[in-house]
Amino acid sequence: MVPEHRTSKHPSRGENPVEPLIFEKHVRGMCGVDFPPLDVPETETPEKLLGSGVDLPCIGQHDVMAHYTHLSDRNFSVDGNFYPLGSCTMKHNPRINEWAAALPGFACLHPLQDDDCIQGALRLLYETRTMLEEISGLHEVSLQPAAGAHGEFTALKVIRAYFADHGQSQRTVVLSPDTAHGTNPASCTMCGASVRQVRTVDGHTDLDHLQEVIAEVGPENIAAFMITYPSTAGLFDPRIKEMAQIVHGAGAKVYLDGANMNALLGRVKPADFGADAMHFNTHKTFSTPHGGGGPGSGPIAVTEELAPYLPVPQIMMADDGSFYLDRDREKSIGKVRSFIGQFGVLVRCWTYISACGAEGLRHVAETAVLNANYLAARLKDTYDMPYFAPEKGAYCAHEFVSVPQKLLDKGVTLVDIAKRMIDYGVHPPTMHWPVHNCLMVEPTETESKQALDTFVDVMLQIAEEIDNDIESVKNAPLVSDIARVDEVGAARKPILTWND
Amino acid sequence: MDYTQITDRQHEEMLSTIGIEHVDRLFDIIPETIRCEGELDLSPPLSELELQRSLTEMASHNIGAHNMACFMGCGAYDHFYPVLIDQLISRGEFLTSYTPYQAEASQGTLQAFFEFQTQISRLAGLDIANSSLYDGATAVAEAAILAVNTTRRHTILVASTIHPEYLAVLGTCVSDLHVQLKVLDAVDGKVLPETVRQNMCSDVAAVIVQSPNIWGQIEDWGGCFEVAHEDPKTLAIAVFNPIASGLLKTPGECGADLAAGEGQPLGNALNLGGPYLGLLAAKEKFARKMPGRLVGMTTDKDARRVFCLTLQTREQHIRGAKATSNVCTNQGLMALRATMFMTTVGRDGLAEMAKQSWHKAHYLAEQITSLDGWSLAFGGEFFNEFTLECPIDVTELVNAGKERGVLVGVAANGRRMQNLSTGNELIIAVTEKRTRHEMDALVALFKEMSK
Repeated sequence: MVPEHRTSKHPSRGENPVEPLIFEKHVRGMCGVDFPPLDVPETETPEKLLGSGVDLPCIGQHDVMAHYTHLSDRNFSVDGNFYPLGSCTMKHNPRINEWAAALPGFACLHPLQDDDCIQGALRLLYETRTMLEEISGLHEVSLQPAAGAHGEFTALKVIRAYFADHGQSQRTVVLSPDTAHGTNPASCTMCGASVRQVRTVDGHTDLDHLQEVIAEVGPENIAAFMITYPSTAGLFDPRIKEMAQIVHGAGAKVYLDGANMNALLGRVKPADFGADAMHFNTHKTFSTPHGGGGPGSGPIAVTEELAPYLPVPQIMMADDGSFYLDRDREKSIGKVRSFIGQFGVLVRCWTYISACGAEGLRHVAETAVLNANYLAARLKDTYDMPYFAPEKGAYCAHEFVSVPQKLLDKGVTLVDIAKRMIDYGVHPPTMHWPVHNCLMVEPTETESKQALDTFVDVMLQIAEEIDNDIESVKNAPLVSDIARVDEVGAARKPILTWND
Repeated sequence: MDYTQITDRQHEEMLSTIGIEHVDRLFDIIPETIRCEGELDLSPPLSELELQRSLTEMASHNIGAHNMACFMGCGAYDHFYPVLIDQLISRGEFLTSYTPYQAEASQGTLQAFFEFQTQISRLAGLDIANSSLYDGATAVAEAAILAVNTTRRHTILVASTIHPEYLAVLGTCVSDLHVQLKVLDAVDGKVLPETVRQNMCSDVAAVIVQSPNIWGQIEDWGGCFEVAHEDPKTLAIAVFNPIASGLLKTPGECGADLAAGEGQPLGNALNLGGPYLGLLAAKEKFARKMPGRLVGMTTDKDARRVFCLTLQTREQHIRGAKATSNVCTNQGLMALRATMFMTTVGRDGLAEMAKQSWHKAHYLAEQITSLDGWSLAFGGEFFNEFTLECPIDVTELVNAGKERGVLVGVAANGRRMQNLSTGNELIIAVTEKRTRHEMDALVALFKEMSK
């Protein structure tokens, strides 16, 4: 059944008035908290050091609560909406994870405390490390990187350091499919590597082209091939192993972008098809919350030969069963962020993996793939899918791509369709990526069948509207709090801060 | 529990819609040789009750600022924040949303980030700020890379008194970019403008100075940046503590072009070092060179004031290899905490925290240095952190503190501080949270140990 338009508490637009900025709510002299009186004698601050005071707005405590409550009411979220953002794995965020990370015995630890003060925390980190090693099948994990892109950067540094150490510092070219995540080439640049694109055909890497590029660049100049598996098109590449063999044949390393690990958990260990290094996105695969943009966490896993170059510190277990931070790794690339990583995020990651266990993780992958294929099967007649053809045995992995050409030909744009979804309380999928004019849909394993069916109904309803009431699609969103946003104007003359 | 919600019966129905008999058909395309044969070798799944038990148990094996008086700083501070932050941040509408690419469905996050950017730009005394980076160390590295890309020069002068981890991360980040880092020596715990001058050359992209620095000393930003600006192309990068801006001159007031810093003191827990948030503020002319996400104000079709991500052509998802940075994920939730914190304390609350930190740190320094044999390592001004030259081995002090429920400070020697010192200094931080009672107890401990 198609749901009523999302009206929340506000029956029509204009009745959820624009929330004033905190700067417009400022009342001089107001403060949302109080402080105990100073209990020591004062020491004068020299005049020359004094600033002129920072103009932060002042607001009473209740109005602070009201402000952020109103703002929260203007957000779509996994909790409140179907949120099939492809490649982002917007799964349920269990609240036990939040409870765990907030335990004072975790949240109140100073990062420079001695190891003997934080044995519980180090144990949790060590266990997380070994769990991820098991899931990847790789030799050693570093928990340092702060996010997926940071993991890419760190692992590429590790690979470059390995080659430099083996007298092959000329290996500065990184290959990447033309459908890669934007972070892949950007991470290469940050490592001083240059990128060569490899063509994809029907969502799969063109192995002939891969070999051509290798020959052209010279195998001795290639550091790595950065792949995503399942691919960014949401497909299990049947020739993944050959691909890895070709790369290894050139003496280069295979880097796996782990964004799509949700489809592999317990089914495939990346080491088994030849991955030499990879990152995990804990905020995708392991249910740590996305928080409006972060924090993420991007642990990396590498083979034994790359392990000596991992960043410091590393979490270790001593012979007596105690845990310590190893800062003395002779060949390490050094530090990639301060302290010991996104600890609070890793607490959530540990909690999730421990809740699932081996059987649960395998079931996660299975259900994520099942849900995606079910949606694709129900929508394929209306929303064209370039790669999905179950009658030919061509299924998708945990997400699928639709280029809804039949609908676009009727005079709507992809943006029109996406914005109309907002009217029905659905967060639009990833758009125009990995191919132009596509919707990239990832339902995740935590959605119920009812939720999936409702989504199908919404999508079919929008298709019908394109036939019968095209204006409502072209002008969407119609009933959300705001109308379509002028993003072009925003970029032309950027206003990035408020001036009173 | 794996949090899936498909029953066996629904599973069968779905398979039949897809037109297959077993879910394994969907995985048949994976080459047999790479499929997992058995199960992963992980502990059996834990129920929520068991998770609560084992997590409580693990957490109980840690001591920290929750059960000790914490005088540790060096980039992570035990500041007060109101409980309402924990309550508001747990709203699922914030917690479980993602990057606000769809402006019409994300105005809450977008407006909060716009407010955050404004607040941070004010704390930095600069025109603009982005909506957060990973942490202080990576923010400094991003600022340096911005300077290199903008000036097309390849030398960075960086104060030796910057946080040693920031220096280490900076070193890692620029090591493949043909950038030369020149570390500026300090005199009495501070970098002299004269030293900056001696190291200037025609290739200097930026001069980076942190204040208060790793020793707690307030650097002469104004003096150092004036020298930097004698070359009109060189950028001045201030590494700042946002709480200090409540009392002391901001980076902008001292002539900085860019300000980078660690935002943890703004409403974020210590979290054993993360997740934190990196702050990066700049003069307006660098807007199109900034790394990371930027939220701009605009209008919707009906002329309503609204917000959206902007200048996205700088970013990796549009620009790929030519992006200003590879950063994608920001520290959204941490930035949200920070903005909630700044809104709640406001101008006066921030000033109060800064003032109390100043007075308490100076009180404690005075008390300790009145003991025989104890002195300050450096003669300059400090804010909320100072360095002691100790008459007793620092390791012994730290260990004695653990016995008495005090985290006495950070020892400056050893690998943990990147071998900052080979001496016997202790760096002590005092926030508004420390009481006179706690400070007097610390002094008593030091006195007792001096005997």
